[in-house]
Amino acid sequence: MKAFEWMSANSVAEAINALKSAPTPADPDDAARPIAGGQDLLTTMKDYITRPTRVVNLKGIRGLDKIEADGKGGLRIGALVTLTQLEERPIVRRNFPGLSEAAHSIATPQIRNLGTVGGNLCQRPRCWYFRLEEVMCLKKGGSECYAATGENKYNAIFGGGPSYIVHPSDLAPMLVALGASVSVAGSEGKRIIALEKFFTLPADGNPRRENVLKNDEIITEIQVPGSKFAAHSAYLKFKERDSLDFAMSSVAAAVAMGANKTISEARLVLGGVAPIPWRVPKAEASLIGKTLSDEVLRNSAAIALEGAKPLAQNAYKIPLTQTLVRRALAKAGSVSS
Amino acid sequence: MPQQPQPTPTPPKKKKVRVPRVVNGVEQMVEIEVDDVAGPGWGPNDKHTLLNHRMTRVDGPLKVSGAAIYTYDVRLPNMLYGRIIRCPHAHAKLKKFDSTAASRMPGVKAIIQTPLKEFRFAGSPVAAVAATTPELAQDAARAIVVEYEVLPHVVRAQDAIKPESPEVLPRDPKKPDEKNLRLANKNGDPEKVEAALKTCDAVVEAEYYTPRIHHACLETHGMVVDYRGSESATVYATTQGTFTIPKDAADALGLPESAVTATVQHMGGGFGSKFGIGIEGMLACQVSKQTKMPVKLMLTRHDEFVMAGNRSGSWQRFKAGVKKDGTLAALRATQYRLGGVGQGSQAGQPYAVYRAGEAYREVYSLHTNEDSSIAMRAPGHPQASFAMESLLDELAYKIGMDPVAFRKKNMRDQAYHRQIDRGAREINWEQRNPTPGGGAGPLKRGMGCAAGTWGGGGNDQCKVDVTVSRDGSVVVAVGTQDLGTGTRTFTRAIVAEELGLQIKDVVERIGNSKLGGANPSGGSTTAASLSPSVKDAAYKTRMALGEKFAPLLGNAKPEEITFAGGNVSGGGKTISWKQACAALPAAGVTAHGAWRSELQSRGVHGVAFAEVEVDVETGKVRPIKLLQVQDGGLPLNRLTMESQINGGMIQALGMALWEGRVMDANLGIQLNPGFGDYKLPGSLEMPELIPIIDDEDKREVVIGIAEAAIIPALGALANAVFNACGVRVRELPITPDKILMALPTERRSA
Repeated sequence: MKAFEWMSANSVAEAINALKSAPTPADPDDAARPIAGGQDLLTTMKDYITRPTRVVNLKGIRGLDKIEADGKGGLRIGALVTLTQLEERPIVRRNFPGLSEAAHSIATPQIRNLGTVGGNLCQRPRCWYFRLEEVMCLKKGGSECYAATGENKYNAIFGGGPSYIVHPSDLAPMLVALGASVSVAGSEGKRIIALEKFFTLPADGNPRRENVLKNDEIITEIQVPGSKFAAHSAYLKFKERDSLDFAMSSVAAAVAMGANKTISEARLVLGGVAPIPWRVPKAEASLIGKTLSDEVLRNSAAIALEGAKPLAQNAYKIPLTQTLVRRALAKAGSVSS
Repeated sequence: MPQQPQPTPTPPKKKKVRVPRVVNGVEQMVEIEVDDVAGPGWGPNDKHTLLNHRMTRVDGPLKVSGAAIYTYDVRLPNMLYGRIIRCPHAHAKLKKFDSTAASRMPGVKAIIQTPLKEFRFAGSPVAAVAATTPELAQDAARAIVVEYEVLPHVVRAQDAIKPESPEVLPRDPKKPDEKNLRLANKNGDPEKVEAALKTCDAVVEAEYYTPRIHHACLETHGMVVDYRGSESATVYATTQGTFTIPKDAADALGLPESAVTATVQHMGGGFGSKFGIGIEGMLACQVSKQTKMPVKLMLTRHDEFVMAGNRSGSWQRFKAGVKKDGTLAALRATQYRLGGVGQGSQAGQPYAVYRAGEAYREVYSLHTNEDSSIAMRAPGHPQASFAMESLLDELAYKIGMDPVAFRKKNMRDQAYHRQIDRGAREINWEQRNPTPGGGAGPLKRGMGCAAGTWGGGGNDQCKVDVTVSRDGSVVVAVGTQDLGTGTRTFTRAIVAEELGLQIKDVVERIGNSKLGGANPSGGSTTAASLSPSVKDAAYKTRMALGEKFAPLLGNAKPEEITFAGGNVSGGGKTISWKQACAALPAAGVTAHGAWRSELQSRGVHGVAFAEVEVDVETGKVRPIKLLQVQDGGLPLNRLTMESQINGGMIQALGMALWEGRVMDANLGIQLNPGFGDYKLPGSLEMPELIPIIDDEDKREVVIGIAEAAIIPALGALANAVFNACGVRVRELPITPDKILMALPTERRSA
């Protein structure tokens, strides 16, 4: 990797200062980067996908590694909480089972022991064209998304163009489904962003980024509000290889049920199929007032995949994701509170 | 001075013995001539005290504790670190190589170009740089400015076969009309096959494809060259052949061969990919020669994927016909070996296990701009076996015949009949899914089977010394290498058994080119080459000791003295090993062993069965059970043999369901050159593994089974997938996308 300057921050303010005071990068991927678990950042640095001149260590900042109840049935999750902590904490397992499942589905135990919640949300894409240094693709400042016409089995069927990456985070779809927001601290102060608005489509903004974070901003906390559906949440991730893999497709589902198991609220977010966590409001709406019969599940699965635009090699993601929608909803609906 | 006439040695008396040999997959007894002198024999397979038992490997504790030193672990004072610069283009000529800036960087000691000026695959090595740390070496490598003239390339077989395709290699002057497609051999009479096909009750035409597979050795290729300007050098190599190193290293270092010692104590996997010093070793030697400093040059994982070789891909087309009774009567095969710039490998069809009535095959090398395929565990066999076994399955289903019965009808050798019956019993074949894709619910179970064959015979390169000292210690020494295949353990065990000792009483010295010669470990030849030589040395040691011990045992005849349980007995007396050895001369006793043909043989049989579960709503294949019935003469170590079978089944499983090189056709590069995207199976992918040693094989000879172990499981898995869900995936790996897209829409959601 490229030689870099290491700075360890003891506070959020120090971290932001260190990021802000770094020399202006020639390229966005040369910008100073914060490091927490480093499980993604280091791999991008080793392959020269990112080449930060300065790396700012966040692990010395106190207070960002807590999972706390917010007193209103919700959670406040520090950005430095590890994936293992999130997975195993009883309050998460009990009240937000889908979130625990999403954390468990990630990578390997070793990586979960080091990887953090904040880092998981800020991962870079896994597209192999992006990950190979010698390929100057659109996301690296080139002019072409090679996946569009190349080997695109793992790429997007929704929201693609001009880049066809899929967002690699497993926490993101589940947290979006749970209505989470992130606290972001930067040189211009703090802001709270609904997670749904945190991620950006390549067509809507800068195709070189996956979210709205500025170079001198860091995530400090994730808020997951209390809701009627949080306890009836499920995350199903389909991996080609169970031992260690990203999602070929995944579904985060949460349902609130009233009398007679009638659905009063539903959240359905697809992962591994779009450059952002892909919420499917029409499919959510189709569930309201219904019970989770086989017919209702099939109908919502069909609606969820409406408008999918598969590339040459990834049409399989449509039937696959439909299956996951049905199974995730059935699982969420069967969780007893 | 006039030469003294040499006394003519008396030629040894000869005798004829009958030994088993397998020719074209058929075992037969053949008569061979051997020296008629008293010598060792293994004796019945069930009469051993150590061999044919389950022995834990002697290097196990070192390996699991991290104490074993691999080449990667070697660190020498003032050692430099080397790094390779690769060509990023699938086909290019060198225009400019400017290392001015790099050579001025701190810590940089040498930059050496390969002689190549034209590069025919992405990953072709261009140069190496050496510096005082790995990081500085990498920085320097990146600071070298290389400019290329990029030329047209082709990386897909389907494109390379077209007449208008770019040319991968210079034309062969002897066959100027052949471009990327080059005929390797033809066999049989196509007209007779066509005629036979007309008489068949059912005909299947099908095409099968297997991608490039990577060896995925946990230790990448490379070496540490310790040359500091003196008259000798030591090379620490991760290699399958200790003795494949010194000559080439010496040439590159400008030293005589005898001045170079190769050492191979522990190595992290080879699977056919590690013979000789390789281009990386050549570069390391040149750096060391130039700097007079030790150099470590180990490939990075990315290097390893794109320049260290791979298993040949395959593309095979068939037309085959059967009679109603299941007789395979006609087979026509067109076989393309996809070896990149190399020739590729593929066993000829019909695969040697089966008879095929009238058969005709054309075998071609089909070249692409990819690095050359090289040997990989059973070169050419998994590809050929997968295609043949899939084809046989298609034929069996087409005529509605049980695939086991169908195979028995066409297997050449009776050994397979007993093995396939055993396997069918063990996996409960009768309970398999009667209708592919049938049954309620999304999870479908299925079973499949397949068979394999390999040689595994030895050769006469191993020279073994056994030394017994006055303190009772025993050392067996030979320059061979242990690839993780258990060489150290059986070498000890043979000597210990012969002398009535325990494994811990013997020490092996191996992996050094200054010790007795040994063959490289390729083609499953090590066990059958080494063990007869060790046995011979151990036997001669016992005879020599008998003579020394006779006076202690009432002058018993040396050949009647027995060695058992740590004691030596004869003439009605028993004394302990230690007591006996105390009577040896100061130098102890040393005996030299050489290969004895009659202690080994070649030709093994194996049959695999697989059970899988396919989720037809996701396309996921979950392997439930893999079992393999495998013979191999005398199992030197049952535990190792079972591990070999397990390891083979696991590699076959990876090839069946996950592994495969992915190339981008336009860029001409590999897209998955790492363990993230090149998906090896992990612990969660493992089925129940059932290795079964076929003890019905009573041959009292040693035969290698390492390669045999990888062959049949592949076809068994593919056939099990079909039996489960009714989808025949003819292109490996069998991934969820292929299954889902092959299922009719209504069945994808059960």
